[in-house]
Amino acid sequence: MGAIFRALLYLYPRRHRELLGAEMQTVFEQGAREHRLLGPFQYVRFVLLEVGGLVLHAAIAQFANATHRGYLESQVHGNLAPPQDLPEEVIEAQNRVAVNLNQLLMAISHHQFVQARFYKNEERKARENLRQMQEKYGIGGPQLLR
Amino acid sequence: MRHVAQRPAIEHPKPLTEPVLLILMSLAAQPRHGYALIKDIEALSRHRVRLSTGTLYGALRRLLDDGWIERFEQEDRSRDKQAYRLSSEGRRQLKLELNRFRELSRAGYARLRVGEA
Repeated sequence: MGAIFRALLYLYPRRHRELLGAEMQTVFEQGAREHRLLGPFQYVRFVLLEVGGLVLHAAIAQFANATHRGYLESQVHGNLAPPQDLPEEVIEAQNRVAVNLNQLLMAISHHQFVQARFYKNEERKARENLRQMQEKYGIGGPQLLR
Repeated sequence: MRHVAQRPAIEHPKPLTEPVLLILMSLAAQPRHGYALIKDIEALSRHRVRLSTGTLYGALRRLLDDGWIERFEQEDRSRDKQAYRLSSEGRRQLKLELNRFRELSRAGYARLRVGEA
């Protein structure tokens, strides 16, 4: 069973697996040992719950990982132009994008996917508004906000 | 001149999920490693909650990302090496949540008294 669990860990993003994979495997094996002593029914129940939980949380981790890398790290902290020399309207638009991205990330990290969808839509609108501002002032372009 | 919003200090505007709350409560007393957390949470919840490995490490990862807990190597290497402890921010957030529960509980009892009067 340990080998199956180890294989299932590959469903997680690489960084998560490298950081926590070995520990997760140890915890699973400790639990499996304990439940094996409680009888076959308890053991099968334990395995099913563990596998179900692992698959579900791997999917959540993949989603959060993809969204996180694509948004907050590379864009809010990396690709936004510095505020000096930018018109007030552009700074406003940048702020709106940044705030919505933070809310989106927060919602995902708390598994609140309805709110996450809402903030994703808000972020898309804010991004479109920012693009219009860039066109209006003839600045930025793709390097300002992808 | 206004500046682009920095990532705000993370306040949780919404209630914590049950696994997260139980993990914070478990770590409030002492640092623990993964399996000890599962066992302590089981006892803390009077055997109502048993976290799966996926649930536990999903929550631990988020708490590490938020800086509410810290991971460190235990000196006692006969047991699991990596353990977790509450950071000062985690302790603060736990207090906030417990205060929220206290207020909610007060309001609930007040309503009950009104209904029974």
